[in-house]
Amino acid sequence: MQVTQNVAELCSLLIDELHGELPSRIFRALLSRGRATLPQLCQYTGMSALQLRHGVAVLLQHNLLYYQIDDGHAMYEANAEFAYNLVRTGKILEMIETSFGPPAKDVMQSLLASGQTRVADLVAAYQEKINHLNSAMQQDDDEDFPDLKANGVNGHPHAAKKCDPMVKSTAQLNSIICRLVEAELIDVVHSKTFQSQPDVVKALEKEVTDKHFPGGVKGGRGKIEFQEKMAEALRKVRSESKSLKRKLEQNGTAAKRRKLFAGVAAANGTNGTTNGVHDEELDPALDPKQVIRINYEKCLVDLRNRRLVHFVSETIGDATSHVYGVLLRLLTKQLPRCRLDPSMDVNQDGEAVDAEPKAVTTAQILDNLKTAVDLSLGIGKTAMKEISSKSAEKISEFPPKPKLFIAEAEVDGEASADESDEGSSSDESGYDSDFKNQPASATNGTKVTFADGDDNPWQRMGRPGQLRQHLLLLAESNQHFVRHCGHDEWTVDFEPLMRTLREAELDAVIERTSGRQGLRLVRILRANGKLDEKALMNVALMRKAEVQQKVVQMQKAGFVQIQEVPRDNKSDVKKSFFLWFCDVDKSYIKLADNSYKSMIRCLQVLEVLRQKEKDVLMLTRRTDVKGREKDVMRKEYYDRYSRFQENERKLFAQVMRLDDFIALVRDF
Amino acid sequence: MADVGDHNKIQLLKDLLYSEAQEHGSESRMFSQKDLTDLGVVPPGDPALLLKIIQGLCDDKLFVGVNSPTGIAWRWRNKEDAKKYTSLPNDETMMVYAIIDEAGADGIWNRTIKHKLNMHESVVKNCIKYLETKGYIASMKNVEHPNKKMYIKANLRPSDRATGGPWFTDGELDTAFIEMLEGIVFEYIKTRSAYLGSQPAPRGDASRLKAPKKGVIKGSVPDGETAPRGVKRAATDISNDDVAVPVNGDPIHPAAASSRSKGKIYYPLPAGYRQYPTVSEIAQLIHQTGITNNTTLSEADIQQLVDGLYYDGLIEPVKVNNRRGYRVTRPKKQDTVPFDKRQKDREAGVIDRMGVETTGNGLTETPCGRCPVFDLCEEGGPVSPSNCVYFVQWLDVEDAAPAVKPTGSIAV
Repeated sequence: MQVTQNVAELCSLLIDELHGELPSRIFRALLSRGRATLPQLCQYTGMSALQLRHGVAVLLQHNLLYYQIDDGHAMYEANAEFAYNLVRTGKILEMIETSFGPPAKDVMQSLLASGQTRVADLVAAYQEKINHLNSAMQQDDDEDFPDLKANGVNGHPHAAKKCDPMVKSTAQLNSIICRLVEAELIDVVHSKTFQSQPDVVKALEKEVTDKHFPGGVKGGRGKIEFQEKMAEALRKVRSESKSLKRKLEQNGTAAKRRKLFAGVAAANGTNGTTNGVHDEELDPALDPKQVIRINYEKCLVDLRNRRLVHFVSETIGDATSHVYGVLLRLLTKQLPRCRLDPSMDVNQDGEAVDAEPKAVTTAQILDNLKTAVDLSLGIGKTAMKEISSKSAEKISEFPPKPKLFIAEAEVDGEASADESDEGSSSDESGYDSDFKNQPASATNGTKVTFADGDDNPWQRMGRPGQLRQHLLLLAESNQHFVRHCGHDEWTVDFEPLMRTLREAELDAVIERTSGRQGLRLVRILRANGKLDEKALMNVALMRKAEVQQKVVQMQKAGFVQIQEVPRDNKSDVKKSFFLWFCDVDKSYIKLADNSYKSMIRCLQVLEVLRQKEKDVLMLTRRTDVKGREKDVMRKEYYDRYSRFQENERKLFAQVMRLDDFIALVRDF
Repeated sequence: MADVGDHNKIQLLKDLLYSEAQEHGSESRMFSQKDLTDLGVVPPGDPALLLKIIQGLCDDKLFVGVNSPTGIAWRWRNKEDAKKYTSLPNDETMMVYAIIDEAGADGIWNRTIKHKLNMHESVVKNCIKYLETKGYIASMKNVEHPNKKMYIKANLRPSDRATGGPWFTDGELDTAFIEMLEGIVFEYIKTRSAYLGSQPAPRGDASRLKAPKKGVIKGSVPDGETAPRGVKRAATDISNDDVAVPVNGDPIHPAAASSRSKGKIYYPLPAGYRQYPTVSEIAQLIHQTGITNNTTLSEADIQQLVDGLYYDGLIEPVKVNNRRGYRVTRPKKQDTVPFDKRQKDREAGVIDRMGVETTGNGLTETPCGRCPVFDLCEEGGPVSPSNCVYFVQWLDVEDAAPAVKPTGSIAV
């Protein structure tokens, strides 16, 4: 992750928001000065060593620092990636809640609030809380008990109050942690966690050279071999954090896991009822000394799934998006991260290492689809004879090859070279003549049979058939949400799909800021490559003045770029060609930076608001006011307080939405 | 005497050759020497005679010598045109006229004439003036070079390249015409590429709730309200919902919500649907309805319109077998009010947007995303988060910061 000025500022603001000013100042110093020892930090920040130790401890606790010990001195380095991840806290919790239930969310929240924790500490904290609650309930006094450490987190501080505790027993806690570990959402902390990636690489390079190439790496073959060894070593380090998961799987939990999954599905949305003691007893007790933390990489995979589902529901429909959600869940269960790491996951030919072709069958999806989803909805009805099953069922075994220009072939002309290769069988020619015989009637929609009755084939198809229809629709879509990779087998090519999604998002920004005409021009440039003004005018069917005004405006915004091509080597400006083109990657970088800055502004505005409402906020911090602001505070004060809260919510929500964009262009 | 006889003979042969050439091809056909010999007017062994005849015809302006890839060749010219040439007073005028004639329907720039003939400007000017008053040539405008003075033979219509094709009226791009046609094309594609069905369930919680089965709903219609089958609530309720609870923070414009007709929604058609409209079908529709009363649009022109819509992100190409059709994007969000019902609004001047606007994202909906002074914004600078008026507006904080009111306002 590249740390620009805006990212640095954002990270320190986020840390300030969640962990306080002291760590934030240390973090800022580390980001701007690079890695430093404690005495150096003293110098940079002007703080005492004691203060610094406190701050560094907090940062380390949350994995926001890397350190390296050289000659007995620890060098600290800021971990901007994890600092940025703090902004996703709310989203991750929400995701956990919908897919694992509220108790799991509660556990995750404590884990997020307290940083990396030993299992024993977490259990102890929960034990205390449970005891406290039990005694509190006995006294029938629901007034003031600490609701865990989650107070500072910008969630709902009152969620745990006045209702049953989320986690009822330590056994349940154990089972929840097991489940999260198995889903890879939680992994373990190991010795290399605190080393930055370059440090790890350097250490491994030394190790590999010493072990396998004592005489140094020589020749082309040697280099390749060295790289392979390095990749292997790096993969090994990375997989260390999955040790707990492997241990759990060794205990033969596969069968039980299925059971649990069923339990979760049933418990979902039903206010977090436990799965019954029976299941929990089955879980192996975790090593209390094990230190666990959140695995953001895997969280991102799940967040990406959600994003894709949302995209499908926008472009196709809700029922289809449910199907897609199930498909993605099944497909990404074993997927550890969104993007492959070029240093270890990709071999010489640029192909992914150990990427066994994954596919999900229709039956699997059907088994996992919630029964509440009505598949008969969401797709229009037509007569069977108007469907070409040959085209719909087309199987494409291999992922599409990357194209230089999107949809280049589709845009120009009626038939281009790559279209004719599909071969027109007799079936089609028959169809064509067939079509010409019946002239297109001018009335709208007459070809679609509006058969709502029971006699329509759609209803007769049955649920598996309907499911297939949704999947085929996904496969046919221009975005290629799904690839029909074998008979009744489905897979997703994430890379091209995410590219499409990113472009769609960029288009949305362009349409909102530069209007539809701007969008048209950008998409023309993207489809056709570099064009001069005249060609652009002709394709876009726009006036010269309009085109000029729009492209210049968009060039300022960073959506299009211009290139000067001299006609001869005199390079006379008047005679030069000026070609417009569109470099999406540049646009993404520019927009991402704008988003960082906007996030900073949101947080800063929040701080301004806090300053303004200082007196009110001071009041709410009093222990006798906290928790029952409405009853205790005077009305005008309470109004100001609630208005502030509303604004706070708005601003945080906006920061989250800005992060949606960042996540899409940077991480997914 | 022999001379006169010879002259008559040649005159006769000239007429014969001319009529034969006319029989054998149009004005644009080029006849080589061999072609002319093979016409059988002149005996094959006598090229000198042929030369004489051709020379005579060229003098009469009935033949035009041209350079063809295979050597010199001739075209015939009709007698009326030839008469025009012969009626011209001097050689200069004739040359100017010839060069304009040659340029054909594309027309020619007056500077090019001067350049090609290497004549003085005043001479060219005089010739052009003379020809214009005679009504032989006319000045014209070329869309590609609107500032150049071009001339064309008076009896020709400027070519498509010069006028810019059907999209130009009087040398100007006719955007109103294009927009209207785009609207029609889009409507046609929309209605033909998606299925208009009833709304299954209230939109807000459709993701969670099971969509009610059709039979059950009848009982649950409140207050005996008669709703169409398969509709749980009236459309007004639904649209109110949309305004109150923006889905994913996407505020739906009230106007857009109310433009939904009763509980109808477009659904995508199943995969493999064969009848997505193609360009030729659209062309046929435009042709049949005769909306473009005096302009004929070719399929390529329609393709241009359709491409425009594709670039706007409103439609997308689908290929089923070898048929390339087009379908609407994001069908479920499309306006379902029929085209003719919206005519009133259009006449009243309400802007009729095609399709749906893309949903905004965090960036476009934060004040910063549309801030005109975003690049200047810095804590401690003239514009800073602490005195930002846009945020004050956006958050609706009443006692606004005592900052200078900006001239423009942003709608969020």
